[in-house]
Amino acid sequence: MTTAEAGRLAARDEHPAHQLRRFDDVTAPVLLDVNDLRVRFNGGGRVVRAVNGVSFSVAPGETLAVIGESGSGKTVTSRAVMGLLPPTAQVSGSVRFEGRELVGCSEKELRQVRGRLISMVFQDPARSLNPTMRIGAQIREAVRVHEKITRQQGRDRAIELLRMVRLPSPETRYVEYPHQLSGGMRQRVMIAIALACRPKLLIADEATTALDVTTQAQIMEMLLELQQEMGMALLLISHDMGLAASYTSEVAVMYAGRIVEGAATEELFERVRMPYTKVLLDAIPRIDRPSHSLLPVVPGRPPDLSDLADNCAFNPRCPRVTERCRVERPALEEHEPGHRYACFHPHRAEGE
Amino acid sequence: MAVRLPEVSVAEIGVTAVHDAAEIAAPRWRRDLELWLPAGFLALLVGACFLWPLIDHSLPSPVGGQLQNANVPPLSRGALFGTDNLGNDIFSRILYGGRVSIEVGLGANLIGLCLGGYYGVFAAFKGGLIEATMMRILDMFLAFPALILAIVVSQFLGPSELHVIFAISFFSVPAFARIARAQTLRLREQTYVTAARLSGRKDRAILFGHVIPNVVPNLLTFGLLGIPIVIIVEAALSFLGYGVPPPGPSWGNMLAVGQSYLSSNPDLVIIPAAFLIATVLSLNLVGDAVRDRWASR
Amino acid sequence: MAILGRRGAEGNPPGQIPVHVRVEVLFYAAEVGGGPPAPARRLAGERGSWTLGGHRIVTSVTLGAPAASTPPRRNRLLHAFASSPSLRVIGRRLLTAIPVLFGVSFITFSLLNLLPGDAASSLLGLNATPQELKALRIRLNLNEPFFTRFGHWFGNVLSGHFGNSLASGQSVTSILGQRVPVSIELILFAFVLSVAFSIPVAVLAARHPRGFVDRCSILVSMAGLATPNFVLALLASLVFALHLRLVPVLGYVPLRQNFWENIHSMVLPAATIAFGLFCTYTRLLRADIVEQLVAEDYITTARAKGVHPWVILVRHALRNSMFGLLTLIGLNLGTLIGGTVIIEQIFALPGMGQELIQAINNRDVIVVEGVVLLIAVVIVLANLATDLLYAVLDPRIRYGRSTS
Repeated sequence: MTTAEAGRLAARDEHPAHQLRRFDDVTAPVLLDVNDLRVRFNGGGRVVRAVNGVSFSVAPGETLAVIGESGSGKTVTSRAVMGLLPPTAQVSGSVRFEGRELVGCSEKELRQVRGRLISMVFQDPARSLNPTMRIGAQIREAVRVHEKITRQQGRDRAIELLRMVRLPSPETRYVEYPHQLSGGMRQRVMIAIALACRPKLLIADEATTALDVTTQAQIMEMLLELQQEMGMALLLISHDMGLAASYTSEVAVMYAGRIVEGAATEELFERVRMPYTKVLLDAIPRIDRPSHSLLPVVPGRPPDLSDLADNCAFNPRCPRVTERCRVERPALEEHEPGHRYACFHPHRAEGE
Repeated sequence: MAVRLPEVSVAEIGVTAVHDAAEIAAPRWRRDLELWLPAGFLALLVGACFLWPLIDHSLPSPVGGQLQNANVPPLSRGALFGTDNLGNDIFSRILYGGRVSIEVGLGANLIGLCLGGYYGVFAAFKGGLIEATMMRILDMFLAFPALILAIVVSQFLGPSELHVIFAISFFSVPAFARIARAQTLRLREQTYVTAARLSGRKDRAILFGHVIPNVVPNLLTFGLLGIPIVIIVEAALSFLGYGVPPPGPSWGNMLAVGQSYLSSNPDLVIIPAAFLIATVLSLNLVGDAVRDRWASR
Repeated sequence: MAILGRRGAEGNPPGQIPVHVRVEVLFYAAEVGGGPPAPARRLAGERGSWTLGGHRIVTSVTLGAPAASTPPRRNRLLHAFASSPSLRVIGRRLLTAIPVLFGVSFITFSLLNLLPGDAASSLLGLNATPQELKALRIRLNLNEPFFTRFGHWFGNVLSGHFGNSLASGQSVTSILGQRVPVSIELILFAFVLSVAFSIPVAVLAARHPRGFVDRCSILVSMAGLATPNFVLALLASLVFALHLRLVPVLGYVPLRQNFWENIHSMVLPAATIAFGLFCTYTRLLRADIVEQLVAEDYITTARAKGVHPWVILVRHALRNSMFGLLTLIGLNLGTLIGGTVIIEQIFALPGMGQELIQAINNRDVIVVEGVVLLIAVVIVLANLATDLLYAVLDPRIRYGRSTS
């Protein structure tokens, strides 16, 4: 571990929001409070239940990772927070931001929130930027929506933002078009756009998945530094456990539209309980395993979200499944302090 | 003569691809209606145009009317649609005119399909300089507006239905050839064609065995949409006097006559116009529906 | 060691110091079951090793000179050429257009001179005396072989001599000079009308898909596309000229004489042509805009910024749809010109189209050759111009890949 590394970890540990923080400690101030969020899609006769009762909260300045495979409902959850779902989606439940209920708000009210209080960075920077508009114009737009500024002020602000995301020669970048930039640079621009109005919460939806490994590390590093500088909360959506491990203080694991395990990052990794999470972690190859050993994988596929029964959704693939799991759904409860999970037969490591 | 456009395709709702879903599929019965209603009308039209004169012997001839019967209004005794300025029965002229439109529409498109289709497939299959040259030649023909090309050819050959079909082929063949070539290019890239070539099958065998069977459905769909275009061009030609020579009936002819009597007897224009529009509209609807169904396979 | 892969990356970290860093990250893949294959999960490595909860993630970093040498410097000229993709596109298109133009001339000439029937007798009619026929044949050089005649004609064309009308003796160039402006005015008028109406209607329709405006415009477009323009002309004449008496049925007032009278006499013909175009453009724009609003990620980004839906529609979606519209306009020019022929005939407008019809009826081969050639050349050039305009306007083509 380098000194910079250790320093960063220490800084994170010392963050006031993190110190006494339990997973849903009600005494800490809450920025985003999601309660029993449900999202259904009606289409072609089928009903797809993408999100089935998700509850979590994020404190100011805190970092939370929501991890899940494709189809777990993590993206839909993040979009629901911003109100960016298509009209075919039916959202119920509660999403409170700074005490204000967002579900059921009009488009006009949501437009006040988007960009200014909550921002989002998307997965594919190549497609997320308008190819026929210059970078500068797109950043200026982000500011102009919420603040009245002149063109020159907009330019200055945009260049300052580009500098903040560590893009070299920001003045040149300002007049360039998206296709003239590399993937990593484009994602930095996306982040600049997202941070333009200093939001209180940044949602990063698979923000680094489309990038190569080195750039991924650089972007995440930068994102975390900016987050700490600005005291912004970060909601990281990903399928990559390693990202959670490296960059966030809290983790929630989603499966079939529900949160199945949630805890502080270290707690989760050291005392993993859900068989699903355990299997996810086990499947990561380890250096200290014997060479050529088989990679433990989970058989089966993620469930069809239009056809969910009232049982534990993971039961067809769980190594610890019993009859009870097939007929009854375990509730997500805080079985141990600071550690929520939903399982009848949680995993326990030897010696616990 | 106008360009047909694709409708926005209906997207499936995916769980993670949240922003894909926008429009729910139109109800099934409506889509079926959009196919079968116009198809029914077309079937009736074709049946009437070709069969009615054979069955109904009391139907007056479309030509050789008598002046004293001129300008009889529609829904009169013995003349369902009335008579024109020369005393010809309009209903009968509509039926026979419909025959002309259908024959020209089918004829020109069939020629285009067969000749143009083969041309395009052949060119794309050969590739290289041959293809480039063949396509350049096509571009030269496509540089002429369809109508003008047809007018020139038709006039200098002399007005007749057959000459009209020939003249229209001058642009239907290149149009089909273009589509066929594009389709073949797409197929050429696919693995099984490469596999067939590598396994040593002769080019011609691959052409007929693999490529053509896959290109033909697309060409047929395109042809279906091309029929209304040809019908419009035929009507335009006849209107200008280069198509079916008067007094022979053609919807275009009837419109030309009607133009002179627009103020006194507008029915002479309205009736053939209505039939022309209805036919073209039905063909467009059917063509769209067929293309949508085919595309969703 | 169960390491699935090793990926090296090189690059200059953003910053002032040009240190070349090579980061080698050992990355791992986690496959969870036989479902849709999960992407290889790359654990972002940091410089150093990292332990968390019993799992070891190891990365290694080596500082040093890059392994591969920098790519050789390109030839300067090639570099200049390569760095301007527009130039390349323009050059290529121009080269392709030349043989097409030549071919078009050849086809024009062949069509009018190869068609069956003795040209001289069909020109002069049945009553022509043998002397007249002979004189005409000599005058038209009909005795000479085909290719010689083509050579003469083509040579003349290139130097701008299109010959003289057989009917009136007037030079084709001067005839065209009188007639072409009228046609141009008609076409421009129609074009302006169609675009001016189609953009607002398409935007309104796209704002609320399957709403009232959208449904109406679909119906109108369907009907409009099914109606040939001359049929529409007749029906419109019936309604607007004869019944409502808003515009004259026939007749043309030159622009120079009286501006408003001119517009008055051109409105109906132009609107007739414009309506067909309007239907096409509206459908295209609406489909394109809705497609963008539904499927494109940059629209989601704009929404996430909090941009107003109307602004998204116009500034993002409509702007990008213009490309498609432009292409369609350019490609439709041929159909447009063909359409004006009939319209001019119906409304008795003294344009190029009417001249063409008259010349064809008079068997005035020289004039027909000139007009048809002009039309075809204009279309080829219009297609070329559309391509080029596209290349110039689309920033992806204009600026190409950056070298950064």
